[in-house]
Amino acid sequence: MSGYNDFGPPSHGSSGHNGGFQPAPPPGGNNNGFQPPVSHNGFHSQPHTPGFDHLHSNPHSPSYKKRDLLDEDAFGSKAGNIVSAFDAFPKSKPQYVTRTTTGGKWTVAMLCISLVLFWSELSRWWRGTETHTFAVEKGVEHYMNINLDIVVRMKCQDLHINVQDAAGDRILAGSKLQRDPTNWSQWVDGKGVHRLGRDEHGRLITGEGWTAMHTHEEGFGEEHVHDIVALGRRRARWGKTPRLPWGTREGDSCRVYGSLELNKVQGDFHITARGHGYMEFGEHLDHNAFNFSHIISELSFGPFLPSLVNPLDRTVNTAPAHFHKFQYFMSIVPTTYSVGHPSKSGSTSIFTNQYAVTEQSQEISERTIPGIFFKYDIEPMLLNIVESRDSFFVFCIKIINVLSGALVAGHWGFTMTEWLKEIVGKRSRRSGHSDGVLGSKGHYA
Amino acid sequence: MPAKSRFTRLDAFTKTVEDARIRTTSGGIVTIVSLIVVLFLAWGEWTDYRRIVIHPELIVDKGRGERMEIHLNVTFPRIPCELLTLDVMDVSGEQQHGVQHGVKKTRLRPQSEGGGDIDSKALSLHAAEDSATHLDPSYCGPCYGASAPTNAAKPGCCNTCDEVREAYARSSWAFGRGEGVEQCEREHYAERLDEQRHEGCRIEGGLRVNKVVGNFHIAPGRSFSNGNMHVHDLKNYWDTPVAGGHSFTHTIHHLRFGPQLPDDFGKKLGNKHLPWTNHHLNPLDGTKQETDDPNYNYMYFVKIVPTSYLPLGWEKKFAGFRDDHSADIGAFGQSVDGSVETHQYSVTSHKRSLAGGDDKAEGHEERMHSRGGIPGVFFSYDISPMKVINREERAKTFLGFVAGLCAAVGGTLTVAAAVDRGLFEGATRLRKLRSKDL
Repeated sequence: MSGYNDFGPPSHGSSGHNGGFQPAPPPGGNNNGFQPPVSHNGFHSQPHTPGFDHLHSNPHSPSYKKRDLLDEDAFGSKAGNIVSAFDAFPKSKPQYVTRTTTGGKWTVAMLCISLVLFWSELSRWWRGTETHTFAVEKGVEHYMNINLDIVVRMKCQDLHINVQDAAGDRILAGSKLQRDPTNWSQWVDGKGVHRLGRDEHGRLITGEGWTAMHTHEEGFGEEHVHDIVALGRRRARWGKTPRLPWGTREGDSCRVYGSLELNKVQGDFHITARGHGYMEFGEHLDHNAFNFSHIISELSFGPFLPSLVNPLDRTVNTAPAHFHKFQYFMSIVPTTYSVGHPSKSGSTSIFTNQYAVTEQSQEISERTIPGIFFKYDIEPMLLNIVESRDSFFVFCIKIINVLSGALVAGHWGFTMTEWLKEIVGKRSRRSGHSDGVLGSKGHYA
Repeated sequence: MPAKSRFTRLDAFTKTVEDARIRTTSGGIVTIVSLIVVLFLAWGEWTDYRRIVIHPELIVDKGRGERMEIHLNVTFPRIPCELLTLDVMDVSGEQQHGVQHGVKKTRLRPQSEGGGDIDSKALSLHAAEDSATHLDPSYCGPCYGASAPTNAAKPGCCNTCDEVREAYARSSWAFGRGEGVEQCEREHYAERLDEQRHEGCRIEGGLRVNKVVGNFHIAPGRSFSNGNMHVHDLKNYWDTPVAGGHSFTHTIHHLRFGPQLPDDFGKKLGNKHLPWTNHHLNPLDGTKQETDDPNYNYMYFVKIVPTSYLPLGWEKKFAGFRDDHSADIGAFGQSVDGSVETHQYSVTSHKRSLAGGDDKAEGHEERMHSRGGIPGVFFSYDISPMKVINREERAKTFLGFVAGLCAAVGGTLTVAAAVDRGLFEGATRLRKLRSKDL
């Protein structure tokens, strides 16, 4: 058997260049599915080389007959071989494949990395992506809603609420909105009430670190689109005014709330006092009764979606003097939120308006008109925010890509380490002792 | 050879010796299937490479051109062309001077006769007509009390009916039908006016205006500006023998600010196109408004967004936009390299009666309209500082295509190899199990 050892089975990682030895019949015997190689160079020369005769020693034993049959099959060609002729993926016979511990380690490492990658891809796919696009708004719109819930620190009958817009219309909003008498003290300590631009504790909001701020009271930008769309479908309702304390019939404040339809043009929505601003008969109000401090619980444009938080929601502003003028300049941007791309079926969208607001307030002389003025203008750009998820098919392809990549990388990693080991091993052998060719451990681990 | 053996040692792509190789049917099938998949994916990569998409961007419009073109085509079926005036004004109320225009008025048959065309005439925008060709050169017509207009053909004289009307307009006097005015009787102004009473009018053409906030309007009667005031002579509009009076019922066939974007624009936008945006539609096209009240006023508030369209390879040919003021009306904004500078707009409209009143009839009692003003159709436009740039680009570069191809081929073959190996191992195990049972 000495001749057999000379050639040694080719290991998994080394480059085999041997040719011309006869593959032994597989130790399982059953020929199903095992097609012997169709054409080889030098395949038939083996019976003449010494050392192989033992395989064909006893022509009359049953095992020989089986092998004989197998050998005949090995020499023939079958019909099914046409398809297998196309087989481009090299598979080695099991006995010519060695498994090594390094290979095993690399396999385990590769499996772990694959799992980690698979998990991250899965979570990323599930989360979906958010796309923001701007475009010019289509359509000739006539009207727009404003939803208002504000508490002013003056009695209800002393207030006038009107809108004047660029189309020349004046809207007597007072008749369309509800007015409830209430007390200032019942509102001023409400949850989340803050000044515009500051948070609940009075700290200035600069917007930095917004990714770390997981404050769910803050509106639009930090929430997920699907949350917003889901909230948008809830039924919109105005909260109830808290009841006045027993015994009093009139509070010192007025809560004005409701929805109003405006012309969709630039305009000015204002709350002024009786007798100061619009010409009326003898309705002058004493100057000491003026106090335009207010708490805005809700101010939004478009359909009434109370769960969406707008910049002026829950803001408070106190007037240090009787004759004080509050001006809010708002720029309205129409916005749509969609879950799923709108051109595909099964997507839901809500249409709202976002706005940016700046405030200018000052104390004024008694010749000017005090009050709360909301001046709004409408931008032509429409902002679309679409949250979409890739289809399942695309996700599968991505996963297959990732796993194949990990597999190939693992294979390469193993090859590299083997090669490095070989170089290092050679160096150490060159410099130091040599164990001889036979029985050396350096060839295959 | 030593060189060969060195490279051989470096070979990391291990190849199995032919004799040790096993070929299986399942392997063959997997190979064929994977080849088909590779071809399919490669074809997909190729079509992706050839596709051209449009990327819209939003920037601040720093390099604003000075001028803007307005193209309109509006029909007024119930007012004759004689009575209509088109004025262009800027935000301070001043009439814009030096407005290049190519607008014509087309007389239309009355609505009862079908409203077909009669003839068309170029509109004179604030320029005096010179039609007194047959008169004695030394003729100097009287101005009937008003001072002669400054743009008269002969200074100090009102030689044509139009000049008398202009003189009266400058003095803010109503003119009427011109009875007793010699120039108008000679030109048969009154007769012309009377026979045209039942006609309609179509105004179409283009104007090149300054790119500032402004408005242009179509109102009855001659107009005149004096400082902050802009007045119209409404006498002929109100005193009319037409039953029911004239009214500003109108149909806007077409209104755009700048050249039209190419038609295949929407297709190229691909899946970025959302149903609520108007990439090349003009919102006011095909708008129809009807009224029977002669004292009705329509207002359109237009917000204009500059837009430009840059075709593929634009940067290499000619980067930079220069206003070509010598271009004819209609050609403005279209450069030789195929780029188009135009404007999209968003609009809201409003209408009211001059008598004021509220919208009680529509259930909105709280909405009160202002009183006064003049009847007509007013377009107020405002220009946004944001500019939309639509840039045509290839979906993928060539190197991207090659990389995608490698990824497709490599990925498929790796997966197929893994599948094949799995099948082979599985088959071997099964065989072992079965042989053990035997």
